[in-house]
Amino acid sequence: MTGRKPFLDALVDALAKEDVLVSCLGANARWLPHMNVTVPVFALCDSMGAAVPLALGIALSRPERHVIALEGDGSLLMSPNVLATAAAARPANLTIVLWVNGHYESSGGQALPAAPVDWPALARASGIASAETVGEPAGLAPALDRARLRDGPAVLVLPIAFDPAEQIPPYSERPEEIRARFTL
Amino acid sequence: MSGAERIRVGLEAAGVTLAASVPDTWIGSLMTAVRASKKIRAVDVAREEEAVAVACGANLAGGRGAVLIQNAGLLNCGGILAGLVELYRIPCFFIVSLRGDVRDPVYYHAPKGRVTEATLGAWRLPHAMADHAGDLAAQVGRGVEFAAESRGPFVLLISGEDLD
Repeated sequence: MTGRKPFLDALVDALAKEDVLVSCLGANARWLPHMNVTVPVFALCDSMGAAVPLALGIALSRPERHVIALEGDGSLLMSPNVLATAAAARPANLTIVLWVNGHYESSGGQALPAAPVDWPALARASGIASAETVGEPAGLAPALDRARLRDGPAVLVLPIAFDPAEQIPPYSERPEEIRARFTL
Repeated sequence: MSGAERIRVGLEAAGVTLAASVPDTWIGSLMTAVRASKKIRAVDVAREEEAVAVACGANLAGGRGAVLIQNAGLLNCGGILAGLVELYRIPCFFIVSLRGDVRDPVYYHAPKGRVTEATLGAWRLPHAMADHAGDLAAQVGRGVEFAAESRGPFVLLISGEDLD
């Protein structure tokens, strides 16, 4: 199983100029300021579960942009209802990229409840027809291309290895800075 | 014009573009009026914290979002108010049905009615009580502008009689 960073590198490489990134708290939010990201990024440092509905509000308000929500399995397990909400709103310009490592990484690596959640099945059962697992970083760009062509929201599930020794940078931006820089 | 329609007019006049909601009896009645708007996108969500984030997303995208929920739902929202609205200083206007005060005929809402305004105070949430004898549209407009100018939350509490 591949680690987080190769998937994040592949995601950043696959971004298009109309894209917008909304990241949940944790490793992705901490990595992104240290990467060459050329699209607007709104990174959370708190509020588990807020990334998807925040991205949904942006997507519904700006249909000319493609909004990509980066969510963790711990966050989504806390509020899986967001899948049904997104399905009901049917934004064609929303892709949820779900990072699945079975751990609350940002709080010390505690394990999630030991349930074998079938995330693509959960997304489909919630009404999101386009849900697929991407097993390798090389598969992310074509999966994103497919997601862009859907007439509703899409979910891409990324199973990643949990690495307690990963050297994740600390948060390097204050919320006010993130808010001020986020313009569409 | 009913109170619900006057509130909708106030939302439209204040430039609200999106209303995210979890209904109760009263908010459901209000949302019926909101759904008739050609200017406001109604978004049905499953939990109140989602409504806050969806409305914040609309604001980040250059629109104006509003949250229409019951006070039970507002009581769910302490975390996201602190960790999103306040932390990132995002305008967020709420219309909240105040269930359980002396005007509410339904007995089982009473415990929520007893704690709502105290909680608003403890959370330092700017708020006002709607007055259906006055200009409801203007009260909505003042709340939306307060949220925008302060880059934070504002809660307008309504009762069932405000919608008649």
